[in-house]
Amino acid sequence: MTGTGEAGARGAPAGSVDRSGAPSAGPLRPLTLPELRRFEFTNGLRLIVAEDHQLPEVSLRLVLEAGATAEPRGQEGVAELTGRLLTEGAAGRSAGEVASWLDRLGAGFSVSAGYDVSILSLHTLSDVLEGALDFLAAVARHPSFEPAEVERVRGERLDEIDRDLDRPEVVADSALIRAVYGGHRYGTPAAGDRPTVERLGREQVAAFHRRRYGPSGAALVACGAVDAAALRDAVEARFGDWTGGEAFPSDGAPGAIGAPVPGSVLLVDRPSSAQAEIRLGTVGAAYADAAFFELLVGNAILGGLFNSRVNMNLREERGWTYGARTSFHFRREAGPFVGQTAVETGVAAEALSEFLRETAQLLEEAPGEDEMELARNSLVLSLPRQFETASQVSSKLVTQVVYDLPNDYWARYRARIEAVTASGVLEALRGHLDPAEMAQVVVGDAGALEGDLEGRFGDVDVRAGAGRA
Amino acid sequence: MHSDSVRFDFEERVLDNGLRVILHQDRSTPVVAVHLMYHVGSKNERPGRTGFAHLFEHLLFQGSGHVPKGEHFRLIQRAGGTLNGSTWFDRTNYFEVIPSNELDLALWLESDRMGFFDEAITQEKLDNQRGVVKNERRQSYENRPYGLAFETLLEHAYPEGHPYRHPTIGYMDDLDAASLEDVHAFFRSYYAPNNAVLVLAGDIDPDEALDRARAYFEEFPSRSVPAPPVVPRVGDERGERRAVLGDAVQVPRVYALFHAPSFNDADFEASDVLTGVLAEGKSSRLHRKLVYERQVAAEVQCFTWPLESVGMLIVVATARPGVAATDLEAEVLDVLGPVCDAGVSEDELTGARNRARRSLVSRLNSVGDRADAFADAVILRDDPEYVNRAFDRYEAVTADEVARVAANVLRPARRTVLHVVPRGADAEGRAA
Repeated sequence: MTGTGEAGARGAPAGSVDRSGAPSAGPLRPLTLPELRRFEFTNGLRLIVAEDHQLPEVSLRLVLEAGATAEPRGQEGVAELTGRLLTEGAAGRSAGEVASWLDRLGAGFSVSAGYDVSILSLHTLSDVLEGALDFLAAVARHPSFEPAEVERVRGERLDEIDRDLDRPEVVADSALIRAVYGGHRYGTPAAGDRPTVERLGREQVAAFHRRRYGPSGAALVACGAVDAAALRDAVEARFGDWTGGEAFPSDGAPGAIGAPVPGSVLLVDRPSSAQAEIRLGTVGAAYADAAFFELLVGNAILGGLFNSRVNMNLREERGWTYGARTSFHFRREAGPFVGQTAVETGVAAEALSEFLRETAQLLEEAPGEDEMELARNSLVLSLPRQFETASQVSSKLVTQVVYDLPNDYWARYRARIEAVTASGVLEALRGHLDPAEMAQVVVGDAGALEGDLEGRFGDVDVRAGAGRA
Repeated sequence: MHSDSVRFDFEERVLDNGLRVILHQDRSTPVVAVHLMYHVGSKNERPGRTGFAHLFEHLLFQGSGHVPKGEHFRLIQRAGGTLNGSTWFDRTNYFEVIPSNELDLALWLESDRMGFFDEAITQEKLDNQRGVVKNERRQSYENRPYGLAFETLLEHAYPEGHPYRHPTIGYMDDLDAASLEDVHAFFRSYYAPNNAVLVLAGDIDPDEALDRARAYFEEFPSRSVPAPPVVPRVGDERGERRAVLGDAVQVPRVYALFHAPSFNDADFEASDVLTGVLAEGKSSRLHRKLVYERQVAAEVQCFTWPLESVGMLIVVATARPGVAATDLEAEVLDVLGPVCDAGVSEDELTGARNRARRSLVSRLNSVGDRADAFADAVILRDDPEYVNRAFDRYEAVTADEVARVAANVLRPARRTVLHVVPRGADAEGRAA
């Protein structure tokens, strides 16, 4: 954009712009990262505050060392069930009373039990912040876990697990992580699966809460229209005497990540499917991986952007799919690398083969400068719009807490990405991906798919879609 | 700041060619949202060409006079931006959210496709995106459990020939039938500057941004646009409609669509608040009764769509295993009956209003969301100030209004009921 001189004059003549090529950018206005206030209470609870008074809203997230990897063996799914039960009766109020309390506040509350941590998220208008904090303290610290409520919610959870079998994308995801991780905790959905959820009861849930919900290792992140000092006092009043929970590390045993599986195709039958859901994957990388930034850039080129290789090939050239993408799920341990697409049944075998070919090709030769620039820029220049709202900022701060990132992490992010080279990307991808060892999953109409897949990939392991009536 | 004082300042300008421009400044983040909304959607489609407005939206990302295929996405992503488009019954939108120093890039791309799209479209691009859209239909509708429920509901709720009778995604045969001729005709008819609004929201200087908008857009002449489709009112005489759909699912779902106030109706906010009382949060009527007490439903939803010319209030209840669709429907109607007859309590209303206020704030907290809201307010209501006025409107909803809307809307003659049942089961959901 030019200055306010000429271009600022009213009535710029029609057709005055040069349309022949993309206009050049004006000077970049730097992003000002939010200023953080950090507090720590005597019981170990940390409070991190980013004030932003643009809008009268507050995003609170309580991060607890209560993720799926902290679950005792044989109790997979207890973190999720515990999270769901927090609001089903707490601090002397019944489930119905807790529901009315929240709904009258008008706040939004949710619990997410991931592999690494559990996060209690509360979004509220700032004029009812005190009441919202009362609510948060009650459900985090004093859930009642009434036996009848545990029974009911476990039943709902089991029904949900069964209903998920109707969803081809969920079936495909589950089959893939099982194939990649086997008995490691990452091989089972974070929310658990039927065989263990069905055995969970009040005792396990209460024990998990007692051991894992506590101030030690926990952090409360607050962003938005708050006064940091006042919030500090308000949090201390409600959480200062919080005890319980055990120090990290956990008594959970996520298991060992096994040797890579030789590439093979698993075909899950879903008769009369309108499409084939395709996944390929392998053990990827941890958040702390030395090649983290190279992998981010490499993934953007392969399948992280609209203009990535797999999407341009399968969607924009061939029109076989609504979209194709890849991602590294960075976690405390090495989470999966996943490639995914859904294509019309008749081209499924060819699409899977193209997906593998694109992956292999990126491991052959370092990407060109054009692709490198696109990938790097899309990662660093997008930062401002990732720090726009209170809830975006709070989720960035959660990432910082969970992966123990340095305080200047986001300030240095740009330089870290810009230092990534094409040869560095090649080396990092070669060190983490091997197309010959990728697990491959297709969920669809086996009758229509099996022949094509066998023709291209040899042995295909065909399974009935589980649990379908 | 107190939540009563939320306000988003803006200026409205109209260019010489009729393009409306909304300028909203917020310099807190160096980001700008460029949002172009055209007043055309699936309700403008002609018979035999359902899905065309949405297919056309895809084509608009395939390059234009000065922009080669693939470049639109590449340039915006390389600038650190995000972009997309969406099509709905009444409107189609295109947006970029980018670092504010790249405002010109987004204006160049949007203006190029408004002015020079049809010289760049080819049969090959059409066929490619037809394939993509057919796979979108397969992925998001046909292969998704209950994915065909909404189109089935529309087919029964509206009479033959009604503009809201078909889904935005369209039917496969019609997607196959779309021709390059259709593409050119649709572009000429609807993609005129005087049929659109451009919203620039975020880190801008409003005067400067307006000048840039004029430089990029004002040269395209205004032209006549087809008259909006006639949308017949669906009255009580249509009576209750019922349908059953078999699907690859394990448990039945009950859908009830009620003809309700449109987005332009003075009762829209009361109708929206009614949905909050019925099914928002675990203390809501439907959730408490069906999920918690009776345990006949796994989940229940109720919502209303902000549509220009018709209104729909929709209830969706998913059965617990072993509960038949007919029984679940009876349970749903048992909850709706007393609301229809006696309205809602002050206490319920207070909660619903508080939730609406919070959700208004959280739906307007990014410049992209605000740009979208301004565009909707201009295109659907001809009133950009509605973005701010909505706060007062929701605050002012009374229990009497909700009771009146409930009594008008939640009646048998205004509803279409659909049971989605496991394939091979009978209408009660019992396995054959």
